[in-house]
Amino acid sequence: MKKTALIALSLILAASAFAQLKGTYTFSGSTTVAPIAYAAIEQFQKENPGVKISYEGVGSGAGLKALAADQVTLAGSSAELSADQLKTLVPTVIALDGLTPVVNKNVKLSNISMENLAAIFTGKITNWKDVGGQDMKIVVVNRDESSGTYIAFWEIVCQKAYGKAIAYTKDAIVAKENGEVAAKVASTPGSIGYVGMAFAEEVIKAGGRSLLVNGVKDTIPNVVNKTWPISRKLYLVTKSAPVAGSVEKAFIDFVLSAKGQAIVKSADFIPVPKN
Amino acid sequence: MKRRKFWEKGAEGVLLACALLSVLAVILITVFLFARGLPLFAKVPLTEFLFSSRWEPTAEEPHFGILAFISGSVVVTGLALLIALPTGLAVGIYLAELSGKRTSRAIRSAVELLAGIPSVIYGLFGIALVSTASRAIFGGSGYGLGSAAIVLAIMTLPTIVNVTEVSLRAVPRELKEGSLALGATQWQTIVRVQVPAARSGIIAGAVLGMGRAIGETMAVLMVGGNAPIMPKGLDGMIRTLTMNIITDMSYARDDHLTSLFTTGIALFVFILALNITVQAALKRSLAGTEGAALG
Repeated sequence: MKKTALIALSLILAASAFAQLKGTYTFSGSTTVAPIAYAAIEQFQKENPGVKISYEGVGSGAGLKALAADQVTLAGSSAELSADQLKTLVPTVIALDGLTPVVNKNVKLSNISMENLAAIFTGKITNWKDVGGQDMKIVVVNRDESSGTYIAFWEIVCQKAYGKAIAYTKDAIVAKENGEVAAKVASTPGSIGYVGMAFAEEVIKAGGRSLLVNGVKDTIPNVVNKTWPISRKLYLVTKSAPVAGSVEKAFIDFVLSAKGQAIVKSADFIPVPKN
Repeated sequence: MKRRKFWEKGAEGVLLACALLSVLAVILITVFLFARGLPLFAKVPLTEFLFSSRWEPTAEEPHFGILAFISGSVVVTGLALLIALPTGLAVGIYLAELSGKRTSRAIRSAVELLAGIPSVIYGLFGIALVSTASRAIFGGSGYGLGSAAIVLAIMTLPTIVNVTEVSLRAVPRELKEGSLALGATQWQTIVRVQVPAARSGIIAGAVLGMGRAIGETMAVLMVGGNAPIMPKGLDGMIRTLTMNIITDMSYARDDHLTSLFTTGIALFVFILALNITVQAALKRSLAGTEGAALG
């Protein structure tokens, strides 16, 4: 009798340990994280049919506020958390985001400062000779307005000197994809553009060059040790450390798994390096 | 007897249904385009949408002005026709009147091939060659009005060549022979008699070409530069109505998405107006010809 009860108990325990996750969840936060979140949610829901998740791209700030106010249980953030936020919220790095400025091979310049980069993309500087290159008009290649890269570059490079409202120069070639930026920069003398770090190689293959920024090269180790200035980390944030067995924990683990990191890569971000 | 009548009626019904299907398609497209695009005017006044060139759909305080894109479409199409019309006319005349059979066949198949090339290939050609050439000729980045107009001109050429040739061949022999018999040279006959007689067909060809140029998206997207600013000259970048729709389509949401449908309405109305105007003009010119003949 005792034995049967014990077996029954262990069965129940085993069942609950493998309990299927279920329920409806709303996550929100950064629009930069959104492409990763959408693709990861789609895959996660396939593997956990009982779970229904939606992700609202409302911006990092709004997402973290909603998390702090218990309106959502998980938030995506492309912004670093403040010391104040870190008192209650727990961020997990899920991806790295690095951008590389690329120029046509005829531009006689190998290094540029963040300030000059911002000045070029806002149209304050229009000739290469003003930043140490030859006397030649700068052809700016920008991304389309609705891309996350367009916003990211502004926030990381231009925002400090030119304010929060995006005010790129309008006299710029607009390219729809990283690949198109690569093609346009490689084929247009005097041009400068920016691409996701993974794409810089494409530009170099096509005959363009990547620039050093403040003397630093765009390598993954430099993103990880924070010396590459045009980079940031993408986070999934929970209130207190993620609890084992919860959907939030399972989702974060999924994004950090090989499958999840493949999604990160295909969304043009850099997977989290394994130590 | 009865059975035969049944088949007759049946066939008629099927044909009618097919005809109605195409009418239905036009109606559906119109209705959905307007249903998705018109709500923008609840937030943006029509005058601002049409007459402002401030296009900042994702800004904190968004602006939806498409004047720059309307201008872009008009200017690039006009310029393309300016290049393609004389060239196409010349090729058409040569094919119909002057060339030998063998040359004529070779040229004609080349022109037909030109018509069959997908527009993305024209775009690649534009990036590889036309933009480099236009950078050398007009200056600037090579991506802009000049390159886009040249690529579009090549794309509209086949339509104009074909229609010109066909309408010249349709001109009654007697007109040509009469002119030659009166002592006119071949050149005089072509310019003064045959081309004027084929006028309506040639205009129709130009309109068809214009339609293709305005609606063209991919090729101009690849060489036009795509900056949302007013066209500034041959070396300046342009964005047309079609380019504006495709550029933002992949990520646009809410009002921004609606504004792309509204851009579609503008394009639709634009092409409709063009067609109606030209058809009216064509009718008038035909009536004129008949009147002259009667008089």
